[in-house]
Amino acid sequence: MKKLLSLPLTFALAASALAACGPQEDSSSTGGKKESAADKPEKLVMWEDQEKGAGTKDAIKKFEDKYGIKVELKEIPMLDQQEKLRLDGPAKKGPDVITTPHDRIGPLAIEGLIAPIKVSDDVTKLYTESSINALTYDGKLYGLPKSTETPVFIYNKKLMPEAPESFDDVLAFSKGDKGGAQYGFLANWTDFYFANGVLSGYGSYVFKDDNGTLDAKDLGLSNEGAVEGLEYITSWYKDGLFPKGIIGEKAGPTIDGLFQEGKVASVMNGPWSFQGYKDAGIDIGVSPMPKLPNGEDVKTFIGVKGYNVSQFSPNQEWAAKLVEFITNEENAKTRFEKTAEIPPIVSLMEDPIIADNEAAKAVAVQSERGVPMPNIPEMAEVWAPAANALQLSATGKSEPKAALESAVKTIGQNIEANHGKK
Amino acid sequence: MTHRKTAALLSIIPGMGQFYNKQFVKGFAFLFLAICYFIAFLDFLNIGLWGIVTLGTEVPRDHSIFLLVNGVISILVVGIGLGFYYFNIYDAFQNGKKRDNGVKLNTLKEQYHNVVDKGFPYLMVGPGFLLLIFVVIFPIIFMLLLAFTNYNLYNSPPAKLVDWVGFKNFIEIFSLDIWRETFISVFAWTIIWTFTATTLQVSVGIFLAVVLNQKEIKFKGIIRTLLILPWAVPAFVSILIFSGLFNDTFGAINQSILAPFGIDSIPWMTDPFYTKVALIFIQSWLGFPFIMAMTTGVLQSIPGELYEAATVDGASNWDKFRKITLPMVLFTTAPILITQYTFNFNNFNVIYLFNNGGPAVADQNAGGTDILISWIYNLTMTSAQYSKAAAVTVLLSLIIVSLALWQFRKTKSFKDEGMI
Repeated sequence: MKKLLSLPLTFALAASALAACGPQEDSSSTGGKKESAADKPEKLVMWEDQEKGAGTKDAIKKFEDKYGIKVELKEIPMLDQQEKLRLDGPAKKGPDVITTPHDRIGPLAIEGLIAPIKVSDDVTKLYTESSINALTYDGKLYGLPKSTETPVFIYNKKLMPEAPESFDDVLAFSKGDKGGAQYGFLANWTDFYFANGVLSGYGSYVFKDDNGTLDAKDLGLSNEGAVEGLEYITSWYKDGLFPKGIIGEKAGPTIDGLFQEGKVASVMNGPWSFQGYKDAGIDIGVSPMPKLPNGEDVKTFIGVKGYNVSQFSPNQEWAAKLVEFITNEENAKTRFEKTAEIPPIVSLMEDPIIADNEAAKAVAVQSERGVPMPNIPEMAEVWAPAANALQLSATGKSEPKAALESAVKTIGQNIEANHGKK
Repeated sequence: MTHRKTAALLSIIPGMGQFYNKQFVKGFAFLFLAICYFIAFLDFLNIGLWGIVTLGTEVPRDHSIFLLVNGVISILVVGIGLGFYYFNIYDAFQNGKKRDNGVKLNTLKEQYHNVVDKGFPYLMVGPGFLLLIFVVIFPIIFMLLLAFTNYNLYNSPPAKLVDWVGFKNFIEIFSLDIWRETFISVFAWTIIWTFTATTLQVSVGIFLAVVLNQKEIKFKGIIRTLLILPWAVPAFVSILIFSGLFNDTFGAINQSILAPFGIDSIPWMTDPFYTKVALIFIQSWLGFPFIMAMTTGVLQSIPGELYEAATVDGASNWDKFRKITLPMVLFTTAPILITQYTFNFNNFNVIYLFNNGGPAVADQNAGGTDILISWIYNLTMTSAQYSKAAAVTVLLSLIIVSLALWQFRKTKSFKDEGMI
């Protein structure tokens, strides 16, 4: 027995002796390592979203010519980039510039994976205010916008010759002969991403916007407007205009499938769906969302994709310069031509290149009406409970008011449990 | 002082005891290994052990997670080193004892033969075992330790350090209302799911195998092939297709199968009860062919004389099944049946792909059909609660490991060599 005990004891002794040492001297050396900002790096590494590299090639070439810094472009699926940066960054294999959807900005900034950038007011003025807001977290700007997207009204021109002005028209159309379609209009309104447009249109909000800072303690998802909005949403299910088969997780693909088969005259969906619909042989028309019965616009969630600077980059100032260069008006225009992603640049909204493009214009107009998705990490707690409330109400298992109140309670508790003690 | 004590004491410096015993080659080897060990690992162990105790002290120089990894590896390396060190002392002590007792020590040649003869299996297994430590044990320890940290979004490197928090995560799972309620309801459904789905798939599999084994059945080949098909199609694909088939409004099950019989459409995807029924059905469908194939194999090996004897004794078909076939089948397949249960306990695919744990349930953090594993997945993916997810995983593993161990030990096939 004694023998058995002595083994871990010696081990513990040795461990504690060693643990007292640690890296004593190298803490000072890291401080001196930082090179002065003026030092030009030989090359910068940039991670671009998959299949979007073509849009930035020209800009990169010009940047290389202008500053004499080589830029290495790698295409990595946008949503994988954060995960990769988390490992590659500390290993010093990471990029200088990454591409991120704006709702990840908050979490990434908290984790310390991306760095704030400093640009002049002249630069930020180029972009729409909402897109700059979307990339701002805790009062600091964390990148420049690359493109913006938001759900719009997509219709099958064969079944619905013209986009309706208001949802009352859509309702009338859905109750009428529907141009021969099975359904007049379908939307994935048990998914909070899509439903929020309606709720916000009636006056709800997710987090109170306090001069650009979101207050996670002030939830507006169960206010009067939200209840009214959910009642409106539920009425579509109650009247049988939305079938039960488009509730829950699988609703999105089901709607896509029905629309591609030509059984639905119109849907609410984002620009990412255009190509699939066209490939299915549907002649689509795109317009901003029709007005709600209360005369308000549908305030859809806007997503802004941005270029951000990695915290691990030794050349953060040059990386910021690259971001600034790539997103400037001229390069953004080229990028739009190549990738059809709409850059939120104010002057381009009137430019014929966007104004004459029906789909691009619809997205641009709808983007101005919408609100940016909250980019604070507390948003992660909102999606599931909010979707639950929508689902419970749509299936008639709870009243809209009760459903929303229960969701807000759950969200509040989760925020308290997971984000309470920062 | 006796030889054994002197030798053991001298061995505090590896190899010295062996020198004292005049086994010079062995002594040199030990000393050399020890020196190599220190030269190679000293820095690494220093940082590693320091890191696992403190998890870093300075941002951004220290990356807690990397330090944790280094620390775990250091502990393993120290463990191996200590094992070697212990052997070194033990060896000196044993040889000293031999000298005390006046027994002649092995010569170098004899030592060599000794190693080759007795130690050969260990020599062969050794490298694989070392690999096993780093490939199997290391990740488990790492995960286990994560459960005792506060690794989440707000405490994640490089911006912040991770700290040890003891049992806080486990306490919170049971003390915070929203966690406890979710955990309990998810756990209850996980147990029901495991037992119903697996038992159903096993009984259907055995039943079909026995039926198909009857002499009177014709076209056995074709029927067996047909029944094996669910297993042949990748489950990933079948589940997604099923999720379409079960759609409340557009699915073929409601529209084309139930409607002609005048049955109203059943809310397969939107009512928790029916979703559970659908899931159990799908899992049985996916799982039975394997059991059937296996049972068919076992049935071939049951000697016909047993049945003949039973027939002579006047046993009915049911008696024969109950007294001969079933015990034989269960005895041979028990280990695999148990793994079927543990597999379904963690059957992420079918839950996630069918309805992503849905439909919604009011006032809790998980969907109506989320089992523990799919719940953990959502936890880590949406809220970045890494340490809490690790804690739930530890609880989950404890349950599975203890159940599996208990079952395995109860099973006869692990005790006896055979039955016939």
